[in-house]
Amino acid sequence: MMPIDRLADMEEKLRILEDLNMIYIRQIALSLKDSDIQKKIDYEIRMREGACKLLAACSQRDQALEASKSLLTCNARIMAYMSELQRMKEAQVMQRVARRSSDAGPMDDRSPCKGKVAISDLRIPLMWKDTEYFKNKGELHRCAVFCLLQLGGEIFDTDMVMVDRTLTDICFDNTIVFNKASPGFELQVELYSCCSEEDYSAGSTPRKLASKLSSSLGRSAGKKMRAALEPGASSPTSNRGGAAILLPVPSVPGPKYHLLAHTTLNLSHVQDSFRTHDLTITGNEECSYWLPLYGGVCCRLAAQPHCMTQQMMSGCLRVKLGGEPQGWTNVYGVLKGTNLFCYHQKEDMEANVEPVLTIGINKETRIRAAEKDPHSKAQNICITNQYGGEEVMHTLAADSREDTQRWMEAFWQQFYDMSQWRQCCDDLMKIELPSPRKPAIVTPKQGSLYHEMVIDTSDDIGTVTDILARRIEEFELRAQLGSPPHWMSLFDEDPPRSPHNHQHLPPHSPSPRLHSRQPRSPRCHRTPGLLSSNASLTSDSDSPAGVSPRFRQAWPPDTSSSSGRFRPRTLSLDAKLSTLRARGYGGFRCNCQPPTAGSGSPHPTQTALSCSSSTSSSSSSEGSNSQESDLGFSRPSGARHSLRSLRAKLDPRNWLQSQV
Amino acid sequence: YNSAVLFFLSVFQQRIEIHKLRDGDNLILGFSIGGGIDQDSNSSQNPFSEDKTDKGIYVTRVSKGGPAEVAGLRMGDKIMQVNGWDMTMVTHDQARKKLTKKNEDVVRLLVTRKSLENAVRQSMMQH
Repeated sequence: MMPIDRLADMEEKLRILEDLNMIYIRQIALSLKDSDIQKKIDYEIRMREGACKLLAACSQRDQALEASKSLLTCNARIMAYMSELQRMKEAQVMQRVARRSSDAGPMDDRSPCKGKVAISDLRIPLMWKDTEYFKNKGELHRCAVFCLLQLGGEIFDTDMVMVDRTLTDICFDNTIVFNKASPGFELQVELYSCCSEEDYSAGSTPRKLASKLSSSLGRSAGKKMRAALEPGASSPTSNRGGAAILLPVPSVPGPKYHLLAHTTLNLSHVQDSFRTHDLTITGNEECSYWLPLYGGVCCRLAAQPHCMTQQMMSGCLRVKLGGEPQGWTNVYGVLKGTNLFCYHQKEDMEANVEPVLTIGINKETRIRAAEKDPHSKAQNICITNQYGGEEVMHTLAADSREDTQRWMEAFWQQFYDMSQWRQCCDDLMKIELPSPRKPAIVTPKQGSLYHEMVIDTSDDIGTVTDILARRIEEFELRAQLGSPPHWMSLFDEDPPRSPHNHQHLPPHSPSPRLHSRQPRSPRCHRTPGLLSSNASLTSDSDSPAGVSPRFRQAWPPDTSSSSGRFRPRTLSLDAKLSTLRARGYGGFRCNCQPPTAGSGSPHPTQTALSCSSSTSSSSSSEGSNSQESDLGFSRPSGARHSLRSLRAKLDPRNWLQSQV
Repeated sequence: YNSAVLFFLSVFQQRIEIHKLRDGDNLILGFSIGGGIDQDSNSSQNPFSEDKTDKGIYVTRVSKGGPAEVAGLRMGDKIMQVNGWDMTMVTHDQARKKLTKKNEDVVRLLVTRKSLENAVRQSMMQH
């Protein structure tokens, strides 16, 4: 825990360091005469300052998460630009050195063409353990996640997605296109996650702030700093290149993202369909930002090398058609992708008229310059292809020796590109350009039972019992009851037992842990069909049912106004409520169904009246002055189905099969 | 030899196009699936996978005369893709959802079949 004054001191130092770095960066950029990167860095720094200000100012968690994401992206970009600057500077220095020395390396190394690389439909499957579905805690463990994708000097971030245990996969809809990739590219995919619990508060007390800052500087920022300081270190974080320059991460309060998983994709992963790749997971279950990842990521990684999409060479040619020795035809040739298109004239190509001849240029093609033809000025070019087992040769000629040389060079370059881009040159892969940004569609949550059962504070059992207690006092029922209401005894150590009760409800642990493990078969069906047939419900499955039905089960028998006969526990609250109502209290409506015949106890008529009323999943609250009358649930039928299938899944005896 | 076999195995994937049958409000495909990454592998109840750690989606039953059988789907097929969506690493429920989208009348599956693999292996061994 850092004292506040030391904290301020450190912040001051960091700011000074930042300013120094900016001066250094500007110097480098100036000396390189590269204003482009300079502008980009300046822009990112401005964006970063804006994000910091927003983060400090915003109060809503969503805003804070978005701002924090922008901040992380800006930082990553700045680091990348700085690494690039550093590299360019080094290269410049090396070049000068090389020129001075005599053994300069060959300057005419062939380099492959660049291309477009697109990654889309990222999907990261999650693997929630069975017990996760049934965690007793009211709040969902939620995380905000997004992906950072880096190729060369370009960094893109996906949209942010909120993840909790109702999701089976994290899906990112973005399509991200990198325009200047070389075949040896490395596409780094990083998944960042930030815990987003209910009790997060942006405006923390100074102590909380201090602890956050001290820990934040120690973790992700610290790691980055350390990695950046090591020369030539290739850290798994997004900033490689050994930038000796350190741009300190400004310490702002707010949600912080942590690296959860990462992987690197390259040319060998490119395919025109979906593939699954392994993820390296950093972090463990103890971390707040942890999510149970299955360990892989599915995506579509496509590449369009420029040799496939652009005209690599064009010009006038003469081609020998037919068998006549002198039968030369003038054509306009265009080398593009895996073909040499020969048009009647240049205008035809622009008008999209079909070419008169198409010669395949691919891995199997053989091209050679023929022996000098005595009749022509330059060598002929012979292109040989295999078409279905047969060899077909085309002879071409350019107008001059220089042209012939240029065409040969173009062919060689094409072959080289194809050898470098490999499978990307078999066929042109489709890349869909990302459509203009649509406003974020809030998809309704899948009808998950457990999500909809998140306990509202008004349903809190403490609140309800308080209200009940107060109202009973109001109506002086206590006196009539002759004893404290029996549900109060729930708060005693040993719950009341009776032979009757024992038969119906196995002992449960004393409250206030009312939502702990409950007995096997549900006594009180909330809504028919919801807990349908399966009696082999594990005890866990009852807990997410929320507080309301639970305490209905848990109430010990009511010996109030009844004749002293023991009733099954589950009816006790109903009995209580109807008693209260009978006394003109009103306001409660029981949505409880009486237990099935299996429990075998007679229903007191009183309860039968009120309980049998609900056959639908109504949560109607008549007498609406009481919040807690909303004891039932209304659920879409989809959730019912998912509950059933979930239960079946959890039964280890079954290998789940679904009919479609 | 091994790489050649792998190449052939990857090539022998079958594309199957199933046209869903409308039955009132439901769209039926006429088969059942088993498997998924969230399924318990210890139960080893998948009779179709050779590798017991395979958590892919398998066709466990095909209704006679149903749309799936008509389209050529067979019991034991392993579903690799549905309409372009990867099926090799999905949960069971996710797989079911991809097959039963209400706004899709047709699903195009990419499947592999052991019988095809066996046929290829046998032919390879002969050479």
